[in-house]
Amino acid sequence: MAELLQHLVNGLVLGGTYALLGIGLTLIFGLMNVVNFAHGEFYTLGAYATFAALGLAGAHFFVAVLAAIACGTALGALCELVLLRPLRAESIDTTMLVMIGVWIAMQNGELLIWGGVAKSIPHPFPTAPLVLGPVSIAPLRVFVLVLAAGLIVTAYLLIHTTRLGTAMRATFQDRDTAALMGVRIGRMHTATFAFGSGLAAAAGALLGPVFLAYPSMGDLASLKAFSVVILGGLGNLPGATLGGLLLGVAEEFGAGYVSSGYRDAVGFVIIIVVLLFRPAGLFARSERIG
Amino acid sequence: MTRRCLVLAALVAAATLAASLNVSAQAPIRIGVIEPLSGPVAASGNYVRMGAEIARDWINARGGVDGRKVELRIEDNKSDPKEAASAAEKLIVRDRVPAIMGAWGSSMTLAAMPKLEEYGVPMVVETSSAATITKRGNPWIFRISPPSEMEALGLEQYVDRLGVRRADFLAVNTDWGRGAISAFGDMLKKKGVAVGAAEYMEQAATDMNAQLTKIKGTGGDTLFLTTAVEQITLVMKQAQEQRLERRIVTTGGSSSPTQLIKQAGAAAEGSYHIVFFMPWFPEAMPDGKLARAFVDEWGKRGHPFEGLTEGFRGHDGIATIAEAIRVAGRDEPKAVRDALWRVSLVGVNGPIKFEKDGPAGKESGQSKPSIFVVQIRDGKVALPDFLAKK
Amino acid sequence: MSCGAPGTPSRPPAVQSGSAVPAPTIRAVLAALATTAALTLPLWLESPYFLHVVIMAGIFGVLALSLNLLLGYTGQLSLGHAAFFGIGAYASALLTLRLEWSFWLALPGAVALAALAGWLIGRLALKLRGAYFVLVTISFAGVVALVSVNWMELTNGPLGLPGVPAPTLGPWSLRGKRAYYYLVLAAVLLAYLVCRRLVGSRIGRAFVALRENEALAESVGVDVTHYLVLAAVVSAAMAGLAGSLYAHYTRFVSPEVFLFSYTVTMVIMVVAGGKGTLAGPLVGALIFTVLPEALRAVVSWQWQMLAYGVLLVLLVVFLPRGVVPAIAALRNRRAS
Repeated sequence: MAELLQHLVNGLVLGGTYALLGIGLTLIFGLMNVVNFAHGEFYTLGAYATFAALGLAGAHFFVAVLAAIACGTALGALCELVLLRPLRAESIDTTMLVMIGVWIAMQNGELLIWGGVAKSIPHPFPTAPLVLGPVSIAPLRVFVLVLAAGLIVTAYLLIHTTRLGTAMRATFQDRDTAALMGVRIGRMHTATFAFGSGLAAAAGALLGPVFLAYPSMGDLASLKAFSVVILGGLGNLPGATLGGLLLGVAEEFGAGYVSSGYRDAVGFVIIIVVLLFRPAGLFARSERIG
Repeated sequence: MTRRCLVLAALVAAATLAASLNVSAQAPIRIGVIEPLSGPVAASGNYVRMGAEIARDWINARGGVDGRKVELRIEDNKSDPKEAASAAEKLIVRDRVPAIMGAWGSSMTLAAMPKLEEYGVPMVVETSSAATITKRGNPWIFRISPPSEMEALGLEQYVDRLGVRRADFLAVNTDWGRGAISAFGDMLKKKGVAVGAAEYMEQAATDMNAQLTKIKGTGGDTLFLTTAVEQITLVMKQAQEQRLERRIVTTGGSSSPTQLIKQAGAAAEGSYHIVFFMPWFPEAMPDGKLARAFVDEWGKRGHPFEGLTEGFRGHDGIATIAEAIRVAGRDEPKAVRDALWRVSLVGVNGPIKFEKDGPAGKESGQSKPSIFVVQIRDGKVALPDFLAKK
Repeated sequence: MSCGAPGTPSRPPAVQSGSAVPAPTIRAVLAALATTAALTLPLWLESPYFLHVVIMAGIFGVLALSLNLLLGYTGQLSLGHAAFFGIGAYASALLTLRLEWSFWLALPGAVALAALAGWLIGRLALKLRGAYFVLVTISFAGVVALVSVNWMELTNGPLGLPGVPAPTLGPWSLRGKRAYYYLVLAAVLLAYLVCRRLVGSRIGRAFVALRENEALAESVGVDVTHYLVLAAVVSAAMAGLAGSLYAHYTRFVSPEVFLFSYTVTMVIMVVAGGKGTLAGPLVGALIFTVLPEALRAVVSWQWQMLAYGVLLVLLVVFLPRGVVPAIAALRNRRAS
């Protein structure tokens, strides 16, 4: 029983991190229809930026995290302006291809700058785990979960209650009408991509200290993020959150009780099953295909 | 649009033209090096490269081989067997190297092996641990790193002193990890130790909590861990979070205890590590002076100390090839191959001399490297507690 | 969408001032030259290293053509194509190693198995389009990759299958590069011809209808799912063919054939070469097989991958439709 509870806690914590990865991508992939393979690279950038801020500037941990988010947002905006905007009329594969190029360039750039050795990112939390009955959990992970929840709520409020958010949603639902209503389409595209990238950088800044920072850390993150987005439904923020938690728990139980070698297969099989029976995502309100 | 097209076309043309130019230099001796210099294990590949460069510079400072300078032709195999094969082909055909060192990972080495036979060029294997490499009947392969079976034998004498009664395994899901589980499992069973769980983790995985929770439930006393240092760090931290109280022994020589201390901190305390080089006590190595000089040179170049446990492989590989060229008297592949059977030198790890391994008539060469065990105690690397008391 | 495929009917030659030779003759001469060059390649391409690069380009050319069928013509992006490639490679290797079949039996066996996998994907993803189809293909590839790593008894896991035998034709062995080149050339021609027949036929038009406006196509009675499954089967079969050729050339198969980077490379070749054209994937395969090797020679290892990424971005930004359509557009502009 203790084992089961520990697995559950592990799964929820893991799922929280997946959710954080997913919400940024669900905006970019879900709203803008950009297959952003570089999403994991913004995640990596967030971790390295935190590392750099802590090391070079000697900044406080929380300041470093904020700086990393700012960095990710800025670079996202730049990417959109320079690379995606000229290609906006092109098909989805062309934008996907350019983001693949960005992925390769960013990852190898990071390799060149920081080297291949993993970097440990110092954090101010104690390493001794919190013990709640039969279950242990590290304080850093609790912090990450809390902050992730906060970011998710903030993102949701931003998208659904502010004017900016409404303008964003309008742009992607019906561009021409939105333009007629005075929405600056170009700005909305840039803002959305920057926002999604900023969220990815936030995930990296928070998870960097939990794991380690190394150039290829984003590859797996990208893949998990896509899974979460599909599970939750494109553009669906609460869906991505729940999807992330579900994926984390499923993987944890799969690895714990079935086979650790096939652990990642659990996520894949879930995706296939979900797509077969509820392609709009587990949490979509209406059935919509494609 | 047209001008852009032209610029692009010019770029591609220039690159292709440059590639076709035959850059030839007669005098220096070229040695090929194939390592993973990008991708997930870029750090390790680069450490080996750094060690190789030190060997090259030392050899050249002493006048080279028979008066000729040594040049390294370094290729990236991008952790992809297909690239390892292409790199080997390019080194052999375009650079005309008489010998190669590589290719770090066992799959990469196996993929390059057909090319060695096709063209008749020897390769010194400096890291790969899969047993099949020397058992396939490829007479152009010479390995200075230990296969997992040899490593397990190296630990056998300490199993009783460690007090291992029931062991579990957690390994990376590659040929290396699987090979280690198989080799160490067989060795432990022969010593009467019970083997509990054997769990795997994907090479890129960062969360091993599920596997650790499962292992926690087996009631074992020792966990054998085989993976790269980054994952070891994560496993140790997560084991600490889950309060997994048991002895940890890492295998494979890639655990870089110094890096572990830095990154895992207290979570690494008490763990044992099988290494093939002890840069913390170089004088205890078979050739103490050489080991000490290597550590000093590495530090002088500003390379990170934690890389020493892998960097020495590059040094020993190049030193072996250079010695073979000297013994052969010329840098011609077949002569070098024959000379490799006759070399006997002492590298940073210890004596290097090749014995026959594999099917009769087509044997590969396998050296018997030295194997050491260290322990992390009080935040420092020390000789294991069961050895310290005399 | 302009089509750069050689052999498509040309428009009547435009008489320009200063142009003495009509366009089709120039094209015919060029085609003849290219064909002769391709047929005699091993004779004049001295370096076996270059021949190696050409052979790999050919294998990837078949792969790119297969992906193009799905991506370029039906408009569905399959990011799991490496799975069919890998299934073909493993099937061929296992059939020749374990069951000791001849290469000439193992090859169709591999093609059939890959086609079966394609059929499975087609049926699974019946109603899925766009992003959802992409995700299903990625997941399928992920599962197959994990099986190849974990099912030790079948695939030997991460240790891979070394010693895959080279094909023999009667008394001759096709182990040497020159002979293998002709085998790959034949495969490329076969794949190209199959694509061309398919695309030019009613089936091809159904593919395009599926890509352009599915609802409309359905409304006029085109059985859309039937054609999608057909495209998936042919596409997977071709990828399996490439896999078999790869296995018997490199003579070593390991789970790395399922690496996502192979799929990425294929996509790059198709899109940057020009999707929806027949020559595009082949041109893309040639460029993107030669490019990393050229970078090996020109740029030191630290900058190779970074340069590759930057060049890719530049290529996409400047030639968003791909190389072949850009050349065709250039020709059209010159002619008008």
